Amino acid sequence: MNAHTHQFLKRSLSNLKRSPLVDVVKFSLLIMAIVWFMARGTERLGYNWQWYRVPQYLFSFKDAHLVVGPLLQGVKVTFHITSVSLLLAFAIGLVAALFRMSNSFVARILARGYLELIRNTPLLVQLFFMYFVLAPILDISRMASAILALSLFEGAYASEIFRAGIVSIHRGQWEAAHSLGLSTFDTYQYIILPQAVRRILPPLTSQAISLIKDSALVSTIAIYDLTMQGSAIISETFLTFEIWFTVASIYLLITVSLSIVVNIMEDRLRVEA
Amino acid sequence: MQEKTLGDYIITVDGISKTFPNGVCALCDFTTKIRRREVVVVIGPSGSGKSTFLRCLNGLEDIDSGSIVIDGIPLDDNKKNRLEIRKEVGMVFQLFNLFPHMTVLENVNLAQRLVRKKTKEGARQATMDLLNKVGMPEKATSYPSQLSGGQQQRVAIARALAMMPKIMLFDEATSALDPEMIGEVLDVMKTLAREGMTMVVVTHEMGFAREVSDRVIFIEEGRIVEEGTAEHFFTNPREERTKLFLSQIL
Ligand SMILES: Nc1ncnc2c1ncn2[C@@H]1O[C@H](COP(=O)(O)OP(=O)(O)OP(=O)(O)O)[C@@H](O)[C@H]1O
Ligand SMILES: [Mg+2]
Repeated sequence: MNAHTHQFLKRSLSNLKRSPLVDVVKFSLLIMAIVWFMARGTERLGYNWQWYRVPQYLFSFKDAHLVVGPLLQGVKVTFHITSVSLLLAFAIGLVAALFRMSNSFVARILARGYLELIRNTPLLVQLFFMYFVLAPILDISRMASAILALSLFEGAYASEIFRAGIVSIHRGQWEAAHSLGLSTFDTYQYIILPQAVRRILPPLTSQAISLIKDSALVSTIAIYDLTMQGSAIISETFLTFEIWFTVASIYLLITVSLSIVVNIMEDRLRVEA
Repeated sequence: MQEKTLGDYIITVDGISKTFPNGVCALCDFTTKIRRREVVVVIGPSGSGKSTFLRCLNGLEDIDSGSIVIDGIPLDDNKKNRLEIRKEVGMVFQLFNLFPHMTVLENVNLAQRLVRKKTKEGARQATMDLLNKVGMPEKATSYPSQLSGGQQQRVAIARALAMMPKIMLFDEATSALDPEMIGEVLDVMKTLAREGMTMVVVTHEMGFAREVSDRVIFIEEGRIVEEGTAEHFFTNPREERTKLFLSQIL
């Protein structure tokens, strides 16, 4: 083998190492291994797999019309809850972060109290408190209490992310903006936040993913989200493994899609800056 | 070249003091008056309070005592006064402090739109004129990261001038630049000085002081040690400390 072909082989090998194909193959091998383990394990349990019964819970056809099954209805509810909570959580998080950094003593105390209260109690307890104690007092619906509880919870974590992003912006940016006569509000809006958001997009995405996963807890107050629909089907059909696998894959699909979208956004922002 | 005539007092600084929480007295009973169209160069060793003095003049730093009046407006706790003064006083920083997420055009437009409430077209026109003035009209759509240090600083000057300030403050505007870029920035500053802008300039560029300044102030430990024309400092400085300092920077 001469030096030339040796070089060529080496280069193609290192190209191959970098190609996404390798990742796909690795991932498939991993999935195959897991499936094999599961098959072996459930065989010993004597589990009777009935995957063919699952699709009808996603969707079915009646008189040539597509009928949305309970699982997809659950997805709709989960989407509704998480998207509204996400917007609220980011708004609450931003306000809490600004309060914490404000000159006003009262604002700082308020923000501090909120953060400590939320971060030092379990979400499940907050959810129950909201639904069983506050909802009757405030006269709000089941759905509203779920959304409020989730937003307040995730907002506390989002506020830490916002704060870190804001303080990471160099002091010179504030000074330049102030010396031009910009108000504090305008400085946040046009100078500080646009730069901070670029930096905090990755941790903010993790927070959004946590929110999607945490939203499964709303099934405990009998909201028919994806998780609740899943457990309802299982109690009727005993398709325990099939349904939980399906439910988990749907959550995975949602969170992975979100990550991909954010990645694209990040690339866009980087090109701009 | 001193055929220009100085006007009335536009800056009155009366006995101001500024002590930082760590106990450092950055300005101690500091008094001076600056006339319209006057160019004042401030020199002094590191930590003597030069930056603090400039930052007090546009309210970036609060003073503990004394008073500052800019063009008849007292710089006090009144937010409206402070905003009014910031509109009239432009500032250029050592590290440029351009907004990195905005193009050159947007950097210069921003305050015209938000603070001066100009129309988009009006702001754009003024910005292009200013970019011409600082010698870089072709860079309007570039981002700061795509410019050299000298170019960034010229944009920063254009950005400050866009507010049509009556006074310009320069805090070591050339000391972060590579030597070959200092000249292009000093040239812009000299042009401004000759056009009659009131300027307070912290710099160690004594050539600049000699060419365009009306007065040089030497400060140390938050106090004025000596002041006079640049010529005075070059030929017969009075104080020993001044001589020592000049021998170090010249
Ligand atoms: N934010 C601050 N907190 C505490 N001390 C400060 C602060 N800013 C400045 N000082 C102190 O005040 C004094 C004057 O600082 P200043 O920046 O005005 O000096 P300077 O003359 O501009 O120095 P240099 O030539 O290094 O820029 C220094 O002793 C400095 O350490
Ligand atoms: Mg300084």
